[in-house]
Amino acid sequence: MKYRPTTRTFRRLSQLSFLILFFVLFRKTDYSGSDTLPYAVNLFFRWDPLVAATVMLATRKVILILLPSLFVILLTVILGRVFCGWICPMGTLLDWLDKGIHPQKHPAVHLRKIKYLLLIVLLISSAFSLQLIGFLDPFSLLVRGAAFSIDPMLNWFFTGFFDTIYAHAPAVADHVTEPIYSVLKNGLLPFRQSYYFLSSFSLIILIVIGALEKLGKRFWCRNLCPLGALLAVFSRWSFFRRIPATSCKNCPKCAPNCRMNAFDPDTGKLHHEECNLCMDCVDDCVNQSPRFAFTKRNNPVPVDLSRRAFVGSALAGIALPVVAKVNAESRIPHPLLLRPPGVENELEFLSRCVRCGECMKVCIENALQPCFFESGYQGMFSPRLVPRLGYCEFNCTLCGQVCPTGAIPRLTLPAKQKAVIGIAVFDINRCLPYANGIPCMVCEEHCPTSKKAILFRDKLVVNRMGEQALVKQPYVREDRCIGCGICENKCPLPGESAIRVFTTNRDNTGADEGYSG
Amino acid sequence: MDRRAFLEEIAKWSAGLFLTSPQFRITQELLAAEQPLPKVAIGTGTDPAALVKLVLAPFGGMKAFVKPGNRVVVKPNIGWDRRPEQAADTNPEVVKAVVSLALAAGAKEVFVFDNTCNEERRCYHQSGIKPVLEGMKNVRCDYIDKRKFVPVNIARGKSIHKWLFYRDALEADCYINVPVAKHHSLARLTIGLKNIMGVIGGHRGKIHHNIGQNLADLNTVIRPAVTIVDATRILLRNGPQGGSLRDVKVLNTILASPDVVAADAVATTLFGLKPAEIPATRAAAAMGLGEMDLARIQQIRV
Repeated sequence: MKYRPTTRTFRRLSQLSFLILFFVLFRKTDYSGSDTLPYAVNLFFRWDPLVAATVMLATRKVILILLPSLFVILLTVILGRVFCGWICPMGTLLDWLDKGIHPQKHPAVHLRKIKYLLLIVLLISSAFSLQLIGFLDPFSLLVRGAAFSIDPMLNWFFTGFFDTIYAHAPAVADHVTEPIYSVLKNGLLPFRQSYYFLSSFSLIILIVIGALEKLGKRFWCRNLCPLGALLAVFSRWSFFRRIPATSCKNCPKCAPNCRMNAFDPDTGKLHHEECNLCMDCVDDCVNQSPRFAFTKRNNPVPVDLSRRAFVGSALAGIALPVVAKVNAESRIPHPLLLRPPGVENELEFLSRCVRCGECMKVCIENALQPCFFESGYQGMFSPRLVPRLGYCEFNCTLCGQVCPTGAIPRLTLPAKQKAVIGIAVFDINRCLPYANGIPCMVCEEHCPTSKKAILFRDKLVVNRMGEQALVKQPYVREDRCIGCGICENKCPLPGESAIRVFTTNRDNTGADEGYSG
Repeated sequence: MDRRAFLEEIAKWSAGLFLTSPQFRITQELLAAEQPLPKVAIGTGTDPAALVKLVLAPFGGMKAFVKPGNRVVVKPNIGWDRRPEQAADTNPEVVKAVVSLALAAGAKEVFVFDNTCNEERRCYHQSGIKPVLEGMKNVRCDYIDKRKFVPVNIARGKSIHKWLFYRDALEADCYINVPVAKHHSLARLTIGLKNIMGVIGGHRGKIHHNIGQNLADLNTVIRPAVTIVDATRILLRNGPQGGSLRDVKVLNTILASPDVVAADAVATTLFGLKPAEIPATRAAAAMGLGEMDLARIQQIRV
């Protein structure tokens, strides 16, 4: 029989291409020998209308780099939720998962209003400048899961495997394994092993989303995804639809197999806003009766959202920003909470940051790490600099380049080199020239500002042997220190560094009165 | 065994132990006086490639050091994420010239690497060294592979006795040291002896606790065939990474010597300092690793 491609073939090709695009962009979110990244590696966030809506509401500004999201809106207004069915990498991964997980048939339909409720909470709280999208945006979840856990895990696994052969197997084995390893290193694996806080948490979120699939195909997309909800709302205007808008009576094919469970189980009517245009119903129909075509916009069934539920979620959306305000963290900002370079105002930063994880993925020193509760629950997964793990590289501006919302401003190199992240403070109880009279100047050596922010005085001290010794004792010139943290990172003391970077008082703490002055 | 047999055995064994050939560790300190005066060639000029050739000429050119089929390590300073004109890393043109000469002398493969202080990819690119070597055959400018650090007992070490060294450096047939001469607040200057920091692993910060002797100890393990000091431009202040062109002085000078201590000693004078003011030079000379007395160094202007 001659092979004829069905719509399914094209859909799968499209899904695969966008998934590959997603991972290519993910891999390219790294330094590549040039100071500027050649690609828009943050594309998936820039065309995400949920990101655009919440960020623009929260900041009350039109953010030009988010305008590609209009394209997705336009696509949805014409074709419906084609994004969910043909493009979204989360959807693609869930479709693949279904092949192994065998989702339960006839899933519940009453849960699908949850996604609208979540959308309303997100939109209303963002109008009050509270940005919660990071908990639910599918790309944020996916990039964070990939960046914080899956990618480091794969690297750990492969390097562990090849290193063991390198270290223990006879040298002949290296001739086979080392070329394979270098191929992997040069494309598929990350440049270095990275480590992240919340790596297990980020993976668990993805595992839960995957496990929910057991309760029905596309459980996440149908019931929880706020981006799906937003697109569903817009798809009610679309005019490319399935004809007829009901399932055939007594036919076991399309309605039970519909991955979005879009047919009403009682009446058989199609909830058009649930349909993601996978078109399996066309391919699988024994009579070839349904088709998709441009047609009149009629929505035979209302969106599953009662007025009561709408008001309830709107009230929650108002309550959450207020409860964030009375959170104690807003009174006593965490003394070690260092934001990426160029971030000046904590509140504005948190309202712009969508927790996409791009900055933490791209940070070449693995210095940017996700927050847990350091800035309250509302700051979870937002980036912070952890100098003992990695420092801010003086000549690097990548985090500002990948930020899709401008939460980390895109700075020129001279501006970035003056951007104050924090201030380094010596612990003279532990610092060797002070505490033990031992010469050590590693922090000063690494200090990157061209007039060094770490200087030293010659001091006659009595060292551990009881001898008089002349040592150089370092100190910080506060007006020159930018808080890059290389001193804290390179301090040769075991455990905690003898020089630590603290937040400055320069009005980037988010506290407008009291503790921070 | 009776008492007589027992005593006999004891006598035999102890005689054997006492009569085995004695071992003397004749240190180079004692032998130093017999060595001929070390030579240091100094040249000035604006073409680094020609200059490298010139300063090697008094020793018989690169052929004197690199034999056909050798695996050669060229060890520049790529420690910092700085541009060539900022004088924190070895001039890429000098590195390229040394690599080309080594290849011309018949080197089978040339390895160029450094264990950097800043992020390695940024250092390799920003210093201009990786780009300038791109496309050269039989030249490998790879990033440090952490697996290749092996522990080495430093038999002659006075302050450190064991440290991790990079295997490629240990296994090289010919090791060419290509440091840049620059200021360093603790070591005073960083030139040839300190350049060894780039082939060691471990917690390198600890070296600073007794920097002079520690560097001398490390230098007993890897003895460069020749040290070529890049002083085309030197960093006078805010070393070892500088950053401001105000701190850079252009000298267009290159020095070469098979004696790393002598090379450092002469290079020190470019900064208006005396060799004995540099702790590492002093410690290395005391261990007999080379000559630091300027009066006993034959300086050849080329």
